[in-house]
Amino acid sequence: MSEVQPPVPEPDALSAPFWEACRNGALEFSACDDCGHYFLPAGPCCPDCWSPCMSSRAASGRGHVFSFAVYRRTYHPGMPAPYVVALIELEEGPRLISNVVGCAPEEVAIDMPVQLRFEPAGDFMLPRFAPVGDEKETS
Amino acid sequence: MSRHAVIAGVGHTEFGKLAGRTAWHLEAEAAAAAVSDAGLQPADVDGLLTDPGPSQGILQGITPHFLRLGAQLGLDPDYTGSEILGGAGSVAIVARAALAVEAGLCDVCLCVYGDSPLSNAGSFEYGRGDEAAFGFFGAVGLHALAAQRHMHRHGTRAEQLGEVAIAARAHGARTPHAQKRQPISMQDYLASDSLVEPLRKLDCCLVSDGAAAVLVTTRERAADLRAPAIPILGHAQAHSLSTYTSPNHFDTLPAARCGPKALGHAGLSASDIDVALLYDCFTIVVLLQLEDYGFCKKGESGPFVEGGRIGPGGSLPVNPSGGLLAEGYGGGMLHVIEAVRQLRHEAGERQVKGAQSALVSGHGLGMNTHATLVLGSHAHV
Ligand SMILES: [Zn+2]
Repeated sequence: MSEVQPPVPEPDALSAPFWEACRNGALEFSACDDCGHYFLPAGPCCPDCWSPCMSSRAASGRGHVFSFAVYRRTYHPGMPAPYVVALIELEEGPRLISNVVGCAPEEVAIDMPVQLRFEPAGDFMLPRFAPVGDEKETS
Repeated sequence: MSRHAVIAGVGHTEFGKLAGRTAWHLEAEAAAAAVSDAGLQPADVDGLLTDPGPSQGILQGITPHFLRLGAQLGLDPDYTGSEILGGAGSVAIVARAALAVEAGLCDVCLCVYGDSPLSNAGSFEYGRGDEAAFGFFGAVGLHALAAQRHMHRHGTRAEQLGEVAIAARAHGARTPHAQKRQPISMQDYLASDSLVEPLRKLDCCLVSDGAAAVLVTTRERAADLRAPAIPILGHAQAHSLSTYTSPNHFDTLPAARCGPKALGHAGLSASDIDVALLYDCFTIVVLLQLEDYGFCKKGESGPFVEGGRIGPGGSLPVNPSGGLLAEGYGGGMLHVIEAVRQLRHEAGERQVKGAQSALVSGHGLGMNTHATLVLGSHAHV
């Protein structure tokens, strides 16, 4: 029987380096060479000063939950509910949509400190976040 | 000699599941109803602006919707176009029509919203792209993030979101054409299925087939028409396209920027508004707008809506026709039409007594777009 697979990222020219870095175990964000602004997602220029000059930095992996939502209904057969979608704010400042894993949905709270944990999905490694102190290793 | 824009005609189809009729049929019916309401003829229409609904516009890509609808209506307009602004589109095209007639680009501008997602859209799309890989689907997930923030920062409770849903259904019960006319209780609300916490099914707007149209013309042109002209006193837009990177995204809507502008053009403040037509795709959006438009202080919308304040007979009736939560999904155009009916004093059982001013809002996409209209009564003409 064929199981429905969850959706996977669809890298484009701008996001391909981000997903390649994830495969190598690094969550990278962009740093503007001209004004020093840190940002996600990758873009054609710095969203603050529009400089085209930027370089990549690896995130420490520490951050906190800016907001979250608990999916109680299954919208995609490859992603059974419940699961937690969260907007994570990295300690360096950039934010990204991700999941909080490694705890029950009821334990998630705004401002909760979290740490990066890569998990495989198809050919990708997805940057997800677990409560600080949850040391479970991923394979 | 300056020209002032007014709304001279409104019309809409029924809303709900309308099997066997395409969005084009529905839009044509709404257009004819608006022209007839104004006492005009199709040949009088020399402007056409359209807001294709989600399944016609956003989900199908940016197609020249105005071109196909204009061809079907046999129009050769002097001014035309479509706006793809999600839920802000209908308010935005009415405002754009006002600019066009005031600038003399056209004299009678037809503004049309229509969609038929229930009867004609393809299979449900789960969403694609990088965020879908995390299971972040749909507008409900996005608005759940905003609701969670509001509850965390301001202590807003589920029952306060429920007050918005209950008020909408109480209004809908008095609206003959509303899709949902059964009132709900707090018990019903709290028992409603959780979709994406903290939002329940009853926090979410309806999905509807239907179309709605508004005719904008000049005060002079409207002087001898059938219905009292409803003046467009002010309008403005503000958008927040940077989404997650914007520090206040999910906490404040762009309404906080364009609300004061639109009210300022009208020479009014929020406390002068008799009836509010607030885009209500989700209950949380009504709470955020009550704050961002200045009907109450930031963070205080939860207590503000308690005790039926925004329901029938309340001190600030919001969406007396039931809005997206009860009347039907009209892309925001039904909100404009209800404002016109209230200001013409022809809203029957749901009439807000003595209404002289209305604020209409549109809110769309990923909480990215926002538009505001301020309308007056015939007394302002
Ligand atoms: Zn910069």
